[in-house]
Amino acid sequence: MSKQVPETIKKQSKRSFNSKEVKKEKNEKRMKLLKEIQTKAFKRAEKYEKEYLEQEQKLVELKQKALKEGSFYREPEPKLAFIIRIRGIVGVPPKPRKILQLLRLRRIYSGVFIRLNKSSLRMLHFIDPYVTWGYPDVETVRALIYKRGHARVNHQRKIIDSNEMIYDKLQKYDIVCMEDLVHEIFTVGKNFKHANSFLWAFKLKPPVGGFSTVKKSFVNKGEHGNREQYINTLVKKMI
Amino acid sequence: MTTQQLRPIVSVFPIKGKVKTIKQVPLPSVFSAPIRPDVVRFVHTNMAKNNRQAHAVSTTAGEQTSATSWGTGRAVARIPRVKGSGTGRSGQAAFGNMCRGGRMYAPKKVWRKWHRKINTNQKRYAVCSAIAATAVTPLVMSRGHRVNKLPELPLVVSDQLQSLTKTRQAVKFLKFIGAYRDVEKVIRTKKTRVGQGKYRNRRHVLRKGPMVVYARNLGIKKAFRNIPGVETASVYTLNLLKLAPGSQMGRFIIWTESAFKLLEDIYGSWEKPSKFKSGFYLPRPVMVNTDVERIIKSDQVQTVLRNRRPRSRKYGKKIQRADPYEDMSVMLKLNPYYKTKLQKQKELEEKNKEERKEIVDKSRKEYEDWLYFSEEEEEEEEEGSDEDREIEVLSDEN
Repeated sequence: MSKQVPETIKKQSKRSFNSKEVKKEKNEKRMKLLKEIQTKAFKRAEKYEKEYLEQEQKLVELKQKALKEGSFYREPEPKLAFIIRIRGIVGVPPKPRKILQLLRLRRIYSGVFIRLNKSSLRMLHFIDPYVTWGYPDVETVRALIYKRGHARVNHQRKIIDSNEMIYDKLQKYDIVCMEDLVHEIFTVGKNFKHANSFLWAFKLKPPVGGFSTVKKSFVNKGEHGNREQYINTLVKKMI
Repeated sequence: MTTQQLRPIVSVFPIKGKVKTIKQVPLPSVFSAPIRPDVVRFVHTNMAKNNRQAHAVSTTAGEQTSATSWGTGRAVARIPRVKGSGTGRSGQAAFGNMCRGGRMYAPKKVWRKWHRKINTNQKRYAVCSAIAATAVTPLVMSRGHRVNKLPELPLVVSDQLQSLTKTRQAVKFLKFIGAYRDVEKVIRTKKTRVGQGKYRNRRHVLRKGPMVVYARNLGIKKAFRNIPGVETASVYTLNLLKLAPGSQMGRFIIWTESAFKLLEDIYGSWEKPSKFKSGFYLPRPVMVNTDVERIIKSDQVQTVLRNRRPRSRKYGKKIQRADPYEDMSVMLKLNPYYKTKLQKQKELEEKNKEERKEIVDKSRKEYEDWLYFSEEEEEEEEEGSDEDREIEVLSDEN
């Protein structure tokens, strides 16, 4: 014996935005989309692996070539830096304070990626005593984004738990998966700004083994300022 | 009101014989006026003040002394005290509201505003509401009238009622129509008034029974006069204080046929003004159809609404996720190529290992060959030039 359903409810469910059929359709679409994203992710990851390898090999080749010819190969200046704030918020003068704010380094052991150009280098100059920075390699960028990558979604900090999240926000910049994001950041592509602002500032742990002295610059056996490729080892200790 | 084009029909009953419909009349528009308890309450509270008589306290009460304060320094309060001596009254406090025998605080005056003006339209609005409420059975019942046995509400009877002269006839009629239960209630609950009114010529308290509304008094007034609880009124002069006693709407009314019909003329409708109250139209309700739920669920509304927005997960649950470098399933969700990558790395390592192994083996072999070959050479050399060697040695020693 079938239940008698009131007519208004029948009508409502037909009209309803959330009716079963509509929901089913939506779900199917979503599943299809997810599948697409994952296949794209696979292909692109493959492509990028090759690309990174080629880059390395190219660099080595050029160096060897130069050596053979008896000249020098000047590597291109780094485009990407990773900055970590290593001093607290007490007693920071206004100019460095403002710059740290602009760079989203609002607390100690927070880290951000930054594109290196004349303007940003000047900014880094001002905040040198409060940060340490350097040129991260692919593995560092990867580790940061995979392990500690949080997205800024709806003014909230949400951990990136699927490629769908990235697709939703960055699809229009042709970034659909984690590897895309890593690639965009590492190679400082056209949409670096959007990829970077999609990421919330990294919250890192204090380094295992500690710092020597933050008061001195890295060059003077301290910790602050530019430490070029040694940022990679530091990040490993802090991630 | 367009919704009232169709007016319901009300039965007219006879005053004796059998309780059945002898005629049918349309319901006057007043009964569809908005029922506004707030308006009725306001008008009633103010109207009820209008039959008050002024009262006040004597102007000289408490002032008929020549008391003066003794001032300070006499170990008494500074209140004015009665002058003189030789009597108990002397030295007693006077004049103040706190004093015994003093005048009260703010002595009541006759020129207090006893009556209230109410806007005519408001008065009429209240009366319309009250009349409309008399047709609503739940309201009449909640007011306390015993209306279970009535054939219909509103109760309309033939005009013959107006010609009744004897109380006996009136009571017989009430019993016939089923209204006597309400009268019985009144009789049963007649009590002595609680409070001081009982010795101020307001000894007994009676409930309100049915009200009989007529168009022409041909004896009806006197017939119903002595029945406890029953009131009569002319339809031309309906009093809100009687229609909604205690500002409680829903008086039980018995209408005569002509009185009932006259209501349409006296109060008019929304299209036609009243014939007796110049320029008066029935009040309009704020909402014609108050069934809001039904309106919202209707087809006309629902088809025009936009789609419901998905429930905003603005502040959704915190997503927990394991470390992708420790949990492969999490890693693969983010980077489906990872497994392949590891495999390839492994293959590459193995290939490199093999290559290296080859190289190492090759060089080791070369080294061993060289070793072996050099040993053979040494042996050959030793066999060939043994004596020469000795001689040389001897010569060296020399």
